[in-house]
Amino acid sequence: MSTPSMYRYIYILIFSVLIVCCAHTGYAQVNGNTVTGYTAPADTLVVDTTGTTDSNKQIKKTDLASHQLAIGIDIVNPITNALVSDHYGYEFEMDYYKHNEFYLVAEGGWGGSNVSYSDLKYTTTNPFLRLGFNKTMLVRDNPKDWDMMLIGLRLGYAHINHSLTNYIITDSTWGNTSGFINSKPIDAVWLEVTGGMRVEFVKNFFAGWNIRGKFMMDGKSFANDAPLFIAGYGKGDKNAVFDFNLYISYAIRWDRKKSPAAAKSKNSALQK
Amino acid sequence: MIKRLGIVWAMCCVVWASCTQQRQPCLTPKIASLILETMHITNDTGTIFSDTALPAAVFLPLSGGSYDSLIFPLGSVFTISLSPDSNVCRWVVETDTTSHIFDTLTFRYKANLQFLSNACGYTDFYSLDTVQTTHKFIDSVHIVNSSVTNNVNTKHVQVYIHPDI
Repeated sequence: MSTPSMYRYIYILIFSVLIVCCAHTGYAQVNGNTVTGYTAPADTLVVDTTGTTDSNKQIKKTDLASHQLAIGIDIVNPITNALVSDHYGYEFEMDYYKHNEFYLVAEGGWGGSNVSYSDLKYTTTNPFLRLGFNKTMLVRDNPKDWDMMLIGLRLGYAHINHSLTNYIITDSTWGNTSGFINSKPIDAVWLEVTGGMRVEFVKNFFAGWNIRGKFMMDGKSFANDAPLFIAGYGKGDKNAVFDFNLYISYAIRWDRKKSPAAAKSKNSALQK
Repeated sequence: MIKRLGIVWAMCCVVWASCTQQRQPCLTPKIASLILETMHITNDTGTIFSDTALPAAVFLPLSGGSYDSLIFPLGSVFTISLSPDSNVCRWVVETDTTSHIFDTLTFRYKANLQFLSNACGYTDFYSLDTVQTTHKFIDSVHIVNSSVTNNVNTKHVQVYIHPDI
C-alpha cells in the first residue's frame, strides 16, 4: 500500500472514531438513567430494589422494542434525474432493528452517466450495494417510539460498465487529434460515514434524511478513465465526496418472543 | 413539529443543490507545455547567466501543424508544445524578428495519453528522449526535466546561447 493511501485510510479511521465518540458523548448526555456515575444504555432498566437512589443493582432486561424491518426509497435521485441530463440513479434502502438501538442496513440501486461533450463521449452504467449499520442516538420515549437520530458506517461496492470512450485533443499549434479507448469494466469500493434523522410521520411510515461522507478506496484505479458519475457514490473523479439522501420508508414490525416478566415490563413502560 | 420542519428544510436544500451546472469548468491547462529557458555562457569566466532575455524570440513549428509563428516579448522563458501525432517535432528559433539568424531544435519523445478529468478530457503528456540543435546562435541544449506535463512551473530544457551572440 502506498503512503498516500495509508494516510487516507488513517484519516478515515480517525474521522470515524471521532464521530462515534461524539455520538456516544451526546447519547450519554441525553440519557437520564444515571445511577452513581453509571449511564445505563437505553435498553437497560435500572431497578431500585432498596428504595434508595444510590443502588448499584441493575437488571439487564430484554429489549422491549419489537422487531422492525424498514424498506425505503430515496426521493432525491428522481428529483436529480429530472434536473440533469448527464447522469441518473435510483436508490433503495432496507434496515433491520437488531437490538440496543443498532440497525443492520443494506442499500442498493443502479444508475449511470451519459457524457456527450464535444471532446469526450462515453456512457457508464452500474449497480451498487452498500452494507453497514446505523446506531441511534435518541433515547426512546417508549418501546413504540421509532424516531431516530442516527450515525452509521457503510462499505459500498459498484461494478461499472464503461463504454468505449471517444476523445478529441484540441491543439491550436499542431491541430486536433482524436482517438478511442476500449470499453472495460471497473470495480469501485468505498467507505461511508453517515448521519441523519428519521421520524415516523404516519404509523409505520417514515421520512428521513442522511448526509454521507464517502471515501474511495484505491482511487488510483480511476486515474485514466474516471467515470463522471458512479451511482451510489457520486463523482467518479473525486476520492472523497459528500452526498445527501431523503428516504420515505415503510416499516414492518412483529413482536419478539419474550418472557412474562419482560411482557410485564413492556406493559408498564407503555403505560408510562 | 421541529422534526417535520427539519425535513422540509432538508428537501428544499436538496432541490437547490440539484440545480447544478452540467459540466464543471476545466481549471487546469489542457495541453502539455514544453518550457525552454535561454541561458548564456560568457567567454571569459564561463559563468552561466540564467536570465538571458531574447529581444523578440520567434518560434516556428515545422513538420505539420499550423505553421503560425509564436512571437514572444522580451524574455528568457518560452513555452511551446510538442506534436501529439508523432514522436519527433522541430521548431525553428530566431532570436529577434529582424535578426534572420535561425536555429532548429529537434525534439524526440514518447507520448502518453493522459486523462485529466471529465471537465478537461484527455491530453498527451510526453517523455523527452533527446533534443538536438543547429549551432547558428545556440551553443548547446540540456534537458533538465524529461517529463513534459501540463505543469506550467517546470522548466524542461535549457538552451545555451553562443558566447559570441
